[in-house]
Formats: sequence, structure tokens, C-alpha cells
Amino acid sequence: MMSLIDDTRRTTFLGISDVLIPEFEGMPAASSVEVHGKMLDHILTLRPDLVEDFLRGLDASCGKDPEFAAKELNEGDHLALSAIGLVASAGYYMTPQVRNLIGYPGQESKPDTDPDATPEYVSNGMLQEVIDRGPIFKPTPLKSNI
Amino acid sequence: MSKSNLSSKKLDRNRIADVLIIGAGPSGSVAAKHLAEAGIDVVCLEQGHMPDANKYSGRRPEWELVSQKQWHPNPNYRDGERDYPINTKESAVHPLMFSGVGGSATLYAGHWTPFMPSDFRVRTLDGVADDWPISYEELTPFLEEIEREVGVSGLGGNPAYPPKMGYPTPALPIGKVGSKAAECLDAMGWHWWPGTNAIPSLPHNGLNACVRRGTCMSGCPEGAKSTTDITHWPHAIKAGARLITGARVRKITTNDAGLATGAVYVDQSGREREQKASIVIICANGIGTPRLLLLSANSRFPEGLANSSGLVGKRLMMHPFSAVQATFNEDLESWRGPFGQNISSYEFYETDKSRGFVRGAKWGIMPAGGPLGATSFVGSKAFTDPDAKVEDMWGTNFHDMVERRFGRSMVWGIIGEDLPEESNQVLLDPTLTDSDGIPAPKLLYKVSENSERMLRFNEERCVEACLAGGAIETNVFHQMPDTGWHLLGTCMMGNDPKKSVVDQWGATHDVPNLYIFDGSTFPTSAGLNPTATIMTLALRQTRRLIEQRQKQEVA
Repeated sequence: MMSLIDDTRRTTFLGISDVLIPEFEGMPAASSVEVHGKMLDHILTLRPDLVEDFLRGLDASCGKDPEFAAKELNEGDHLALSAIGLVASAGYYMTPQVRNLIGYPGQESKPDTDPDATPEYVSNGMLQEVIDRGPIFKPTPLKSNI
Repeated sequence: MSKSNLSSKKLDRNRIADVLIIGAGPSGSVAAKHLAEAGIDVVCLEQGHMPDANKYSGRRPEWELVSQKQWHPNPNYRDGERDYPINTKESAVHPLMFSGVGGSATLYAGHWTPFMPSDFRVRTLDGVADDWPISYEELTPFLEEIEREVGVSGLGGNPAYPPKMGYPTPALPIGKVGSKAAECLDAMGWHWWPGTNAIPSLPHNGLNACVRRGTCMSGCPEGAKSTTDITHWPHAIKAGARLITGARVRKITTNDAGLATGAVYVDQSGREREQKASIVIICANGIGTPRLLLLSANSRFPEGLANSSGLVGKRLMMHPFSAVQATFNEDLESWRGPFGQNISSYEFYETDKSRGFVRGAKWGIMPAGGPLGATSFVGSKAFTDPDAKVEDMWGTNFHDMVERRFGRSMVWGIIGEDLPEESNQVLLDPTLTDSDGIPAPKLLYKVSENSERMLRFNEERCVEACLAGGAIETNVFHQMPDTGWHLLGTCMMGNDPKKSVVDQWGATHDVPNLYIFDGSTFPTSAGLNPTATIMTLALRQTRRLIEQRQKQEVA
């Protein structure tokens, strides 16, 4: 995988990824968290199906202004831009720095401490209001028409 | 033809099995466990493998990324080694499934929603489709037994159902997402109830208790979502059932008397083998089962096995599905699990003809996933506008969207009853094959006007409820294509052999020792997730087969 991403392609990806994910209101740009570094290679290893569209988009964008290149891909090769965008955003949100900033601990284990405890929706009467409205199912007719 | 007393002797590899089951998903697993425990020799052929929970990605940072490919529920997109391709060019809904022990439930959300009394009597009540030859009441004792095997979590007393036995484990926490959803429905005075899920809140029958990791739909790495590789196969194997994985069945074989004699399959190494059996039970889902019957055509059964009615493959139902994403101005921790249903609503389930359609829909609220979930839904890029400009979805708007939605959004899933139509069907594709050269299925499927109206009505009501509960943003995703989780109806159950494929016990009308126990036999689809009813029906049919074993006609 490393051999597919030479410096030219890596630089092209860096430019477009910053167009897609710029610095904004305390959030870092994609390049600031190194999505174009080892993370890029890692993402493509995890999702080899993205490689073809991803590289096609980068090669078509080489040497172009990143903002123009992104617009051109969006209009002419949407799949390529989608692949670049997914690689950039997935890598971005896998970095601990970004996860901390948005308050995402990842899909963590947090078991219910007492499954037998009375739920709040029971103790506060919310569910009783539903019960008080009565049954809402239609009973099975005594005879079938078949 | 002879009558057989099914034996309890153990099989060697070449011995004729008492019962051959094709497919180790929910229905096949129930049959295997109970038949084996009754002393019957059982062999099960499963085209996938036994799941390895260590391969599920839920504990790893890349979970969201790989969920969109390696664990995507659409086999055409996932393109796994054991998947078979499906021609969906003429289908408005794409079928979702998974090949492996435990079946497609490996990737389900575990919504446990048994069919309602009215679901079995839609012809009598609403003048459409067909009544089932059995009733809700007849199934209830088997449902209560299956719920204990599955380890369902839930709270009894739901006024949407008749009274029944309680659940084996307490309801899972509804979380901030469920509480907010309940507030929305309370604001309208509409029904809601804490979700019932095939996800135990306490350790049960080999399952661990849910830890709310929220990665249910890409396989549970905690062993806490109920799938039959955990709940049924250990019992079945202990009782002597033999499970052969990596086995793709090519055809059911028959003899001159028109009785099933077994199946020919391609093993993992590409060798063709034959498994002989006295009885064959197909449990390959609403697409795989008719595919196999059509593949098994021969000179005696030129239109496919068990197809004298011409209904094999017809009446495909897949539940057109809409989603409503609602965002609130508060932290709902909406990445947190379980990714079952936090609460559900049956407010618009029963028919009210003044709405312009018959039958109805169930709503289930689910979390919204991680940050990538702000732009996708269980692997589908449903929230992406293909005509959007770069700056609409990216740049500062990208940050804005994630800031607004992440942790603050929830997704209502709306499942509407899909009424059967013979034009919606499974065929054999003339050219497409799986990797073993076996012809692949082709689907013809259109969404009916009734379904279209039903979904629109429910979407509008759902948005009303969300706004009443304080939503700052709602997005409706109407009739999403990648939502064919429920594959039903293609081998209809009924009393009349001219109008159905199997009887109420799953026996095909044409081949006395060929049975179908999966969801393909459903005369109608209800507006509910079908796994509870599939497993319940399989248990009832298995019990009948055991009781009638002395009278069973075999080859």
C-alpha cells in the first residue's frame, strides 16, 4: 500500500482534504491531525475497495488548485470525491485529538449498573399515561375468511 | 413409499440423515436444536461459516469505516467470500442478508416485534391479501418459549399487544435518545413503549449482558446480541446435530416417487458432494429458498420443486422503509447503544381507511451512531444529496453538520406493511452466477401505491412528533433502497395447494417430505421486524414434525 501513495499523491490529498475539512471554530484542519500521514495508509489498508476511486481522483487533481480540483471532481467524478472525502473524514474522526474535541469516546463499554432498578419512565409516571390510554391492538376475529 | 420411524442413532459422514436442514439462520437453528434434542439425526448445510466474534469491529476505532463495507448488510456491496450476488436492477428495494451460522441476524438490530393479532387476519379485517391459516393465539405459547431461548429484554404490559408472559430479562435502558423520543410522542398523546430487543440485559443462555457498545448491526463483539450461533447451536451440537459450513447447496434431489432424497452441494474446496436425508427442511430466507426450489427443477418438476401452484418466488415482500432523522439542541449521547430499538410506537399500526391506505407501520427509535453517522445510516450514504455542491457537504458546513447532529440526533425507522403482489418476485438470473457457478437470483420488485401512501403518512406524523418534542432539524429519507432486511412471502403458506406452496406446518403440498420453515412461507408481512415470528413459527412446525415422526412419509 505504501508504494501507491507517493509524495505527489500525498500532497494532492493533503490539499483536497483541507478543502473538505478546514480549520473552523476550534476544530483543526485535516492536515493538522496528519490525516495524510500514516493514517492515510492505515485507512486504505482497512478499506482497499476505496483505493481505485481514491487514486483516480488524486491523479486527476495533481498540480491543480485543491479547491478547483474538489469542485471538478464533484461535477465529473463524484465517486472519486466521495472516496477522498471518506478517507479524509474517517481518518479525521479516528484521531484522539478530534475525538476529544467533539466529545466522542468511541463505541465504549458502559454496562447498565442495575438492570433490575425501576426505570425513571416508570417512577415518574410517563409510562402510566400510555397504559392509561388503554389497549390499541385489534383482537383476532373469531372466524377467518379463508 | 415407506413410513419411517425417525431414529436417534448417530450419523457417520455417508449415512442418510433423518433430517437435512439447509441454512443455519434463525429458523434452521431452532429446527436443528429441537430435532436433535428429540433424538433425531440432523445434518445442517450452511453456506457461510461460524462467526468469529473477534473479527467484529465494534471495539476498534475503525468501526464506522469498516461497517460501511466489510459489514455492510447488502451482499452485493459487501461482496464477501460466501455471499452470492443478486440482480437488483429491477428492484426498488435491495435485499440485505448475511451468510453464516446465525444467518442474517448476525447483522440485525435485534428488534423483537412479534406479529400482532390483526396481522394474521388481514383479509377478514381489511379485505386485502390473505389470512394466515393460523392465529396469533395459536402461536403465542411457542413465542413465549422462544423468547426464553433468545433471551429477549423488555417490559411487559405493552398495550399494543394482548397480555402475555413477561420477558426473560429486564428492558434495556432507553437512554437519553429513548427519553427524548418518548417526550415527542407524549407531546402528541401517542403510543410508545420501551423497546423489546433480542439483546439480553442480563447474562442468559450463553449470551453476555449488553454493555451498550452500540455496534449491534456489525456483529456484537460482546456476545450480547442474540444470534443462534450462541443460543442454539451449542445445544444442537451437544445433542448430536452435525453442522457443515462452507456448503453451498446446488439442488434438492428427488426420486421417481417425487419425494425428496437429499441435496447436492459444493463444499468449501469446490468439490460437489451429496447429503442424503429422509426429510429436507429449507431455511434459506425469502430469496435463497425460492432460488433453491427453482434450481431444483427436473423432469418431474419442470417449473421448480414444490411449484405446482406457480407461486414459488412470487409475492416477495421486503418492507419498504423510511427514516426520519431528528436533531435536538441537547446532548443525547446518541452514539451509545444498544443499537436495537430504544422505544417503539404502534400508534399508526392498525388500519384506518380514512388515511388513504390499509394496514400500518411500526416506528422504532435508534441512536445515530458515531460522527460518520452524521452523513450516513447503517452504512448507506442516505443523507448525501447527489446534486450537492462541494461546500454543501464539506468545508465549514461539514463541521457545522457534525457539530449540530453528532450526539444530538436520533433516527426513527418506519417499517410499513408490505402487501403481497405476484408481480414482485424472485427469478433465476439467466447469466449471473455465484462463485461456484450456481445461477444467482434476480428480483422484480416495485413499491406499491399503498406502501407509498403509508410511508408518506407516517413520515409526516413522525416529523410532527419530533417538532412537538423540540427538534431543531428533521430530515426525511423516504423509501430508502438499502433496507431489504426482511425477505418474506415467496413460498406462501395456505390450506389450498392451488394457491399456496406449503401448509401451516411448513410441509410443501407437492413433496410430502420437503419442508420450508423460514419467512418465505409468510402469507403477509405485517409491519414489523419478522425474526420473532420466524423463530416462533419454526418452533411450532418443528414440534409438529417431531410429534408426527411415526407417520412421516419418506423416500
